[in-house]
Amino acid sequence: MLTVTDLKASYGKIEALHGISFHVRRGEIVTLIGANGAGKSTTLKALMRLKLPECPTVTGGDILFDGESIMNMEAHHVVGKLRMTLVPEGRQIFGNLTVVENLTLAAWTNTGDTRRNLDHVFGIFPRLAERMRQRSDTLSGGEQQMLAVGRALMSKCSVLLLDEPSMGLAPLLMYEMFRTLKKLNDEGMTIIVVEQNARIALQLADRGYVLDTGEIVAEDAGKALLQRPEIKAAYLGG
Amino acid sequence: MRCGMPAVFPAPAPRRAPADHEKGSLMESFIQQCVNALQWGSFYALIALGYTLVYGVLRLINFAHGDIFMVGAYIAFFLSTGMLAEGGMFGFSRELTLALTVPLTMLLTSCCGVTLERIAYRPLRRKGAHRLYVVITALMCGLILENGNLALLGASRRALPELLDKRIYSLGGIAVTNLKLLVIFTAVLVFVFLHGIVTRTRIGMAMRAVSYNRFALPLMGIPLDSVIVFTFVLGSGIAGLGGVLFAMSYPVLEPYMGAMTGWKAFIAAVVGGIGDVRGAFLGGFLLAFVEIMVAAFLPSTFRDLFAFSILLLILWKRPTGIFGMPLTTKI
Repeated sequence: MLTVTDLKASYGKIEALHGISFHVRRGEIVTLIGANGAGKSTTLKALMRLKLPECPTVTGGDILFDGESIMNMEAHHVVGKLRMTLVPEGRQIFGNLTVVENLTLAAWTNTGDTRRNLDHVFGIFPRLAERMRQRSDTLSGGEQQMLAVGRALMSKCSVLLLDEPSMGLAPLLMYEMFRTLKKLNDEGMTIIVVEQNARIALQLADRGYVLDTGEIVAEDAGKALLQRPEIKAAYLGG
Repeated sequence: MRCGMPAVFPAPAPRRAPADHEKGSLMESFIQQCVNALQWGSFYALIALGYTLVYGVLRLINFAHGDIFMVGAYIAFFLSTGMLAEGGMFGFSRELTLALTVPLTMLLTSCCGVTLERIAYRPLRRKGAHRLYVVITALMCGLILENGNLALLGASRRALPELLDKRIYSLGGIAVTNLKLLVIFTAVLVFVFLHGIVTRTRIGMAMRAVSYNRFALPLMGIPLDSVIVFTFVLGSGIAGLGGVLFAMSYPVLEPYMGAMTGWKAFIAAVVGGIGDVRGAFLGGFLLAFVEIMVAAFLPSTFRDLFAFSILLLILWKRPTGIFGMPLTTKI
């Protein structure tokens, strides 16, 4: 479904991705793991075709979605037409809007059944229903993460990219978040997750790629990567 | 008067209790000035709304906005003189001319605002330029509009033809013209309309969301540029409407008419809490109220001194303005 070939991206003159290639099949959970600065978030931003000044510029390679290049697409078309979206690092919720406004806004490309979508999201995250009229910058970190994922669900996307979903979450909340992701995947959602917590990401993922300073250095099934001594040493604490 | 006291200070009047008829006339005068302040405040509010909309979305103080108001007044002048029966190309009646001038001026002024956004602000935004450069660009755009007008049309003042039969309604000793009522009513209507858009519609939510987090908006499938263009259309269209009404009320048009009015409207928006539609509306009326009351009951040279001192006091007590909220982020 998603094929990335020789993707290069840079921030100004600094190249952050040196030609990475990988693929994702429909219905899979794929994880990208690596140290800080390896290029994981850059990859997700490049996939989403984000063209804001703070985002990387893609300087080479190709991204195919169902066989067609999306290199000339803008981010809002990636969401609206390809039904692929990103839950960004640091949640990036609209703190000046209420919970329900955040969710309603996220259904921009999917205006038909907002009420039913809201019920669906509140079914998955009941905490959000309790806080629906609350300004979202007053939510706890865990609740904000739920809102960030809930927003992605409102757009009725079938491909979900997540950048560090466990960041700032207590262990219990983190496991709850990953259980939710597994449940969404069981319902047919394709998931690409970037995660510093390599152990939990590889346990969840069908396949994993290891990024190191802008290059893919290993690729295997998630559980197989967990057993590799070099991965254990570098990312799992020995 | 005592020897040596400047003429602007009147001699202290002997203290005595005011007679009943004096109390009545003072009250009438106060109410009359309130009506005047409402009309004057309507212009400030209409311009301040545009400042606050653009700031609310882009965190950009669009210093060219006062000049967009001037462009609106000039567009109204050319449209109405072109359309009117006396000497105009189309020979329309005054009523039809007014009915066509208002929407066409709003439309054309919107085009002016959107053009500025496309050619001046958007390229800087895309390159991630520092906010200071964008503000300087806005100032330059304003100067270009003023001086472009001066170069093309000359310095001579122009007067909008009369588009409305003036009627005066009297209630007790208070006189209100139909134009005054139209201006006040329009400003209130625009505020209700804008407040409704910003708080109750999805595009309004998107406008509020951009101000908080521009990065996440495209991830909701929302085209960022469209939201920004919509904001400029609204803000400039309302400035155009203000321009028509101002030109109808004070039919003296000149290239620099938007500069000082624009600055004052900007200050009104800041005092109200820039970024908040309610703040711009209230701030506009507050500034006008202070200005008119000072000019009515004190020497008129005190007007701006008092007005800005009072506004400074308000900002001293509430640095984010009356409706402004400090930005907070949760990590």
